Order: sequence, then structure tokens, then C-alpha cells
Amino acid sequence: MDSLVVSNIRQRPLRSAISILGVALGVALVMLFTGLARGMSDDLQKRSSNVSAEIIFTRPGSTQIIASSANVSTKYVPLLQAIDGVESVTPVIRYVYPSGSFGFDQVEGVEWDSFSKMNNIRLIQGHAPSPDEVVIDETKASRNHPVGSTLKVFGDRVYRVAGIYAPESGARVKMTLASLQDELQAPNKCTLIYVKVKNPSEQLLVAKRINEALPGNKIQPTRELFATIESSIPGLTIFLRMLVGLAAIVSALVIMLAMHTTITERTREIGILKAMGASRLYIIGEIEREALLISFLGLLVGFALAGIAGFGIHKATGLIFEFGARWGLTAAAIGLLGGALGAFYPAARAANLDPVNALAYE
Amino acid sequence: MATIVKADNLEKVYRIGKVDVPALRGVSLAVQEGEFVAVMGPSGCGKSTMLHLLGGLLTPTKGRILVDGENLTAVSDAKRTDIRRRKIGFVFQRFNLFPTLTAEGNLRLAERIHGNGADDPDRRHEILRMLHLEDKMHHKPLELSGGEQQRVALARAVVNRPAIVLADEPTGNLDSENSELVLKMFRELNDRFNQTIIMITHNPEAAAACQRIIQMRDGHIV
Ligand SMILES: Nc1ncnc2c1ncn2[C@@H]1O[C@H](COP(=O)(O)OP(=O)(O)O)[C@@H](O)[C@H]1O
Ligand SMILES: [Mg+2]
Repeated sequence: MDSLVVSNIRQRPLRSAISILGVALGVALVMLFTGLARGMSDDLQKRSSNVSAEIIFTRPGSTQIIASSANVSTKYVPLLQAIDGVESVTPVIRYVYPSGSFGFDQVEGVEWDSFSKMNNIRLIQGHAPSPDEVVIDETKASRNHPVGSTLKVFGDRVYRVAGIYAPESGARVKMTLASLQDELQAPNKCTLIYVKVKNPSEQLLVAKRINEALPGNKIQPTRELFATIESSIPGLTIFLRMLVGLAAIVSALVIMLAMHTTITERTREIGILKAMGASRLYIIGEIEREALLISFLGLLVGFALAGIAGFGIHKATGLIFEFGARWGLTAAAIGLLGGALGAFYPAARAANLDPVNALAYE
Repeated sequence: MATIVKADNLEKVYRIGKVDVPALRGVSLAVQEGEFVAVMGPSGCGKSTMLHLLGGLLTPTKGRILVDGENLTAVSDAKRTDIRRRKIGFVFQRFNLFPTLTAEGNLRLAERIHGNGADDPDRRHEILRMLHLEDKMHHKPLELSGGEQQRVALARAVVNRPAIVLADEPTGNLDSENSELVLKMFRELNDRFNQTIIMITHNPEAAAACQRIIQMRDGHIV
């Protein structure tokens, strides 16, 4: 190719590669973080939506998503069951504990019979949990936890995998309510009580009745909870936006440095261009095209990096990445815009060089 | 014959820090269309400065320059660049080719800068044939001898058929055989396309080939 742009990039392969990688890292970071946020919240949502109870009964002030308190008395179970319009009731402890280097893990304690019946959950292998046993979902099982194997919960307690259930719902690992109460030294307590109503269209009415019969508790529609999962992770959106901003700045700086050195090195060539009658705009255009080509290659490498890293991390840790087109476009715009802006100052400087001095430059 | 380059009372003072260096002290000059002029004189007498002024790469401290009817000293920098693009081809002692581009790439770059659909392979090949460069088209400058590089530079300067060619010691870096060849090319371009050529040279034989010799000393034409 006769293009000055391409030949310049080829002339300095190492510098071009480093610039491309700089842009690529910014793009890959944006893709990975946003992909992780989406993947995890989608996964959570999917599992939550397999809960068929319309109403969640808790104590005021508890937040279900990251709750780890068992502060609801199970004495409410028969009281709720007695309310007109309620079909079934089941208490659950949801316990979140720190695990490994990657944040948090969850376990649920359930009364298997009423829980599985209410939510249409069946065991596809093995049997229901007895004390010192857990049942797990298929995703968990696929990570090297067949029925009969052992599983560590709370960091060091060993449980036997009694069975595998489907579909996925809530925490991947479930044990009996009684063993989790024991473990937490919270006898007769639970985190929340699921309430399924006889006629879903009457759920508001039933909720009102519960509120009248058992005042001072928190009665939430399950639907509402699903809607707020993404927004319940505080500051996530702001964090992601900041990340994108940082990636833009990194791209711009990398390109700016690369273009700045390129132009210092090519001062004489810019002098020649001027002697040949190239306008300021032409010179800025050439430099911008070079920057955009580098940024574009950086984008491609960045997407590839994100894909490979996402796959690798998923295999290693089970974290789920979901790369969205919208964030992909944002990352692309950021990479290109950063490159274009970063190149602008060096390009304008080049365009304003004095041609005679530039021609005399060694 | 029409006057194509006209300079009136040009003065140029370079300022280095607080010191003024006068390079031209009142130079007037008229060059006719199709003329081939040599500029001679000792080093430092202001030859390059004059050539840069005529090509609009510099602006004079005083005086007026007309190129093909356009007043270089009365227009903006952008306009001067535009006049240079359309009317002037520069050739330098140091060839000044783009080292990453092939001979043909250097020519095509000149065409791209010139614009107006200047990308004309026929014309490009005609010039390359005239300068005996057809088989060097795909070579990069470093793969060419000095004489060949200067011929490519000359081809690049004239590929868009500028009315005026300004050459600053074009044979200064060449051995006598290659100098001879390059000078022959200049004469041929001058004959064939009636291009006006102003050439700085230290070589009396080269100057002898021109229609007129301008002698300079201490910033004056003598
Ligand atoms: N960019 C510059 N800055 C300061 N002085 C310069 C510059 N260019 C040339 N000069 C001075 O101007 C004078 C004329 O230089 P020049 O036109 O290059 O002469 P020539 O081409 O005849 O050798 C010299 O004294 C030289 O040192
Ligand atoms: Mg000189």
C-alpha cells in the first residue's frame, strides 16, 4: 500500500503494537467489567424469577438480596397459612458469607418439601437433604460436584451433596432449614417467608389481609424485587461510567504519546509535506487517520482480549460475563474518540510547524 | 514572454534571540515564463532564503513577491500554501523523499496532496519514463542510488506539472555523472513542458547549461 499512514505504522512495529495494546486494554477493561455486571445480575434475576411465591414476608429493614440475618420468627408460618387466600407458605434462611478471593457466596436453608412444592422444583438426581447434606443446582454440579461428593460451605464445614435440583432458583446451594438454624444459632428463625396465593390476581388483597393480621412486618411483592436487583447494587452504574471515562483517558494518553513521538521523529517529513503544498488540514487529517487506525486495531484486539479473558475467568471461577452490544458500542466510541482527541494536540502542533525549520531538522 | 516570478526589493532579517541576521538586503528579480535560471554565489549569501521566499515557505521582512499573477506577500499563510500546491515544485539537495514509501508512492503522495483528480497513472508513467525510472517504481529510496533518488524527487516535484520548479543545489550531493544526468532531466522538462526553473548551484558547468545566471553576494544580486 502506498499510504503514508500504513507505512508509518509499519515503520515502528513495536511502538504501534504498544499503542494498539494500550487502547485494547482500555476497551477490554470496559467490556469485562460491564460484561461481568450484566452477567451476574442477569444470572441472579434468572434464578430469582424461578420463585413462584407472589409475596415475600420479612421484618422491616431487611434487604433480601444481600440479607444474612435470620430475624423472622417461624411462628409466622402457621399464622400466614391461616390467612384467607393463601395457598402455601415456606420459610427460608438466606445466608451470605465471604468466600475465597472472589467476594461472596450464598446458601439457603429451606424446608425441602414445602419449598420444592411451592416453586415447582424437582430433584433430577439423588434425594432431598438431611442434616449435614446439601442439594445443589446443575450449574454448581457441573463444576465438579457430582452427587455423593463433598462440598465446603461457610469456608470449612463439609457437607455431602445429596441431590441436584432444577430449575435454578435462589442460592445454588441449599440445606435444610434446621441445619442452617443450628449453624447460625438461630433456632426458630428464618430470613424470609415466601407466600404463594391461591389466585395471583388477588395478591394485593391478600397482602393487605396479611398486613392487617400481622402488622409491623414488611410485605413485598416478589415482582417488585426482581425489578430492583440491578439498582440494588449501589453505585454500580456510577462505577461503570467512571471506568469507561478512565478507559477513554488511557486511550487518549497512549495515542497522544505515540503521536507526539511520531511527529517529533517526522518533523522533517512534515516540512516536506508543507513544501509540497499540503495544507494544515491535510496534515492534521493524516495524523488523525494514523491515530484512528491504531485505535481501530486497538478496538479489535480489545474485543478479542475481553472475549478470551471472559471465557478464561468463567472457566476458572464460574463468574458469568454477558457482553452487551450497547457497551460494545460505547467502548468502541470511547477508543476511537480517545484516539482522535489524543492525536489532536500533536497533529495541530505538526500542522503549525515552520516549514523551513522543519526541513532543516535532523 | 510573460513574467511569471517577480520580486521587488526583498529584505529578510532572521532573528536569533536578540540578534538580527540580515539574509537579504533588497533583492529584485524578474523571471520569464519558461526560463531556466541558475542562482550562484558563496555560501551564506542568501540564495536559499530567496528561493524559500519565492516558494512561499517564508515571508519577507520587506518587499513584494508575485508568482503567476498572485501576490504571495499579501495573502494568508493558508493561501500561500495553496498557491505553492498548485504552481510550485521544490527540489532539495537532500532529496527529501519519504523513506517508507516507494518511488511510486512518493509520486502518488504528491498527486494526492495536489488533489483535483491528479491521480493519473499515464502522466505518472510518462514522467517516470522520461527520468528513466520505470524499473525503479517499486523501490524505496534506500534501495536507490543518490542519482536515482534525486530523479525520483524531481519526478515528484513535476508530476503535477507545476508552472515553476525551484531547486536548491539539486546536484550538490551527486557525483559528476549523476549530476550530468539530473541536469539533462531539468533541461528536458524545461524544453518539453516549458516549465520555469530556478536552480541554485555551485557548479559552473551546471550554471552554463542555463539561459541566465544570477550572481548573489551578501544578500544582494550583483
Ligand atoms: N533559519 C535561519 N535562522 C537564522 N539565520 C538563518 C536562517 N537561515 C539562514 N540564516 C542565515 O541567513 C544567511 C543566508 O542563509 P542562506 O539563505 O541559507 O544562504 P545560502 O543558501 O546562500 O547559503 C546566512 O547568514 C545564514 O546563517
Ligand atoms: Mg543554501
